[in-house]
Amino acid sequence: MADISLFPLFLSLRVALTATGLAILIGIPIAYYLHKADSRLGTLIDTLITLPIVLPPTVLGYYLLVLLGRNSAIGTFLEDTFGVTLVFTPAAAVVAALVVSIPFMIKSAKTAFASVGEDLLYSAEILGRSKINIFLTLTIPLAWRGIVAGITMTFARALGDFGATLMVAGSIPNETMTMPIAIYDALLAGDREMANVLVAIMTVVALTILYTINRLEKRVIQG
Amino acid sequence: MKKRIAAGAIILAISSGCAAESGQEEAAETAEVSIAAASDLNPAFQALKDEFEAETGVELTFSFGSTGQLADQIENGAPFDVFASANVSFIDHLIETDDIIEESAQPYAFGRIGLMMKEENTGAAENIADLTSAEIEQLSIANPAHAPYGMAAEEALKASGLYADVENKLVYGRNITDAFTHIETGNADAGIIAYSLGIANEDGYDFILLDEELHEPIEQVIGVTSQADHPEEAQLFIDYITDGSGKETMEAYGFIVPEEES
Repeated sequence: MADISLFPLFLSLRVALTATGLAILIGIPIAYYLHKADSRLGTLIDTLITLPIVLPPTVLGYYLLVLLGRNSAIGTFLEDTFGVTLVFTPAAAVVAALVVSIPFMIKSAKTAFASVGEDLLYSAEILGRSKINIFLTLTIPLAWRGIVAGITMTFARALGDFGATLMVAGSIPNETMTMPIAIYDALLAGDREMANVLVAIMTVVALTILYTINRLEKRVIQG
Repeated sequence: MKKRIAAGAIILAISSGCAAESGQEEAAETAEVSIAAASDLNPAFQALKDEFEAETGVELTFSFGSTGQLADQIENGAPFDVFASANVSFIDHLIETDDIIEESAQPYAFGRIGLMMKEENTGAAENIADLTSAEIEQLSIANPAHAPYGMAAEEALKASGLYADVENKLVYGRNITDAFTHIETGNADAGIIAYSLGIANEDGYDFILLDEELHEPIEQVIGVTSQADHPEEAQLFIDYITDGSGKETMEAYGFIVPEEES
């Protein structure tokens, strides 16, 4: 068995945490909008958001590659203006992880918002609270359970992504090789022992983080 | 209390990540050649890595994968210096899209295929004609639609007039590694896969080479990419495996290296 490098583990954690953070910042407002929207457009957007879950990850990764790669409009713009390539960097891994996991965030948050009692919110409005204030101090805490469920699933999906990440970030050792890709690489090389060790490490770390998040959920409700 | 532990754990994870990354940056001062290679080259390339690095002082990093996927990535800007493909058509395509330097493209090996089965099944099939026997219930090959060794396996079966008889026994793997896994896990009684895998797994398996006349030559071509950061060092590697000390290692792993023509 070759030497174990822990780089993939730390890269995967950074990518998954960043993607989850972005999913919260981008996903919750979208979920709130979808919750409020009564139009066909809202339903259409809701349906489209579920698309990344339906597509095979490698296909999704391929489309992301074509969309953001050096031949694309976005890619050439980034390169000409900022001298930056997005693909085959850890940033691309974050994009891939974000795209595959944000549907879980949005769906969960949207359902959670729907369960919040409208009467409470109306009362707060009548009593003079601003809309932002209501959203932050009432809606989010009341929807907290569903939101945390969304965060948990988002993080888990982002951490475990393989196909999309492999396609758009590549399998470059010590740069973009995340844990799932390292495991696959070990399998390809016929190094079953290494693959099993990496799986064990990843499982323990992932379970610890997910367990902690779940405990956090209970704690905040009581507080 | 638990919140603090959680916050602490997350901060620790992030900072360890940062530490790991900066550690890697310090080490990379020598020239580094990044090689995208078809997965069947994994054992061979890993075997010659240390010797090459010692001989030339150039560091190698490998990214293994399926030839088609790597070709797609190179076309969309992947930062590889060298592409060692398992199928010449992908290199030809990349030459057309100006992603591979035409002059650098050369065949580095011819692949061979053979019958492979677990030692406990010895005698179940001694040659390709035996594959029609009832003892072989499932036969695994790589997917002929896009894997060159799969295509060769299919061609060999057709050339021997056996394809119609074994067609419903066929089990496709995405690539030869998957095809081998089918044999390894007992899901296929035998398979037609690459010679390089046969050599890498001598213990516990029988491998019977098939006549190369039965299929189109599996010409594996290597080339330097247009956006290579280190094109001279990249060419060093290509010369090493086609004409230098790497040639012996390649042949030991089942790749027939063509005679130098230039």
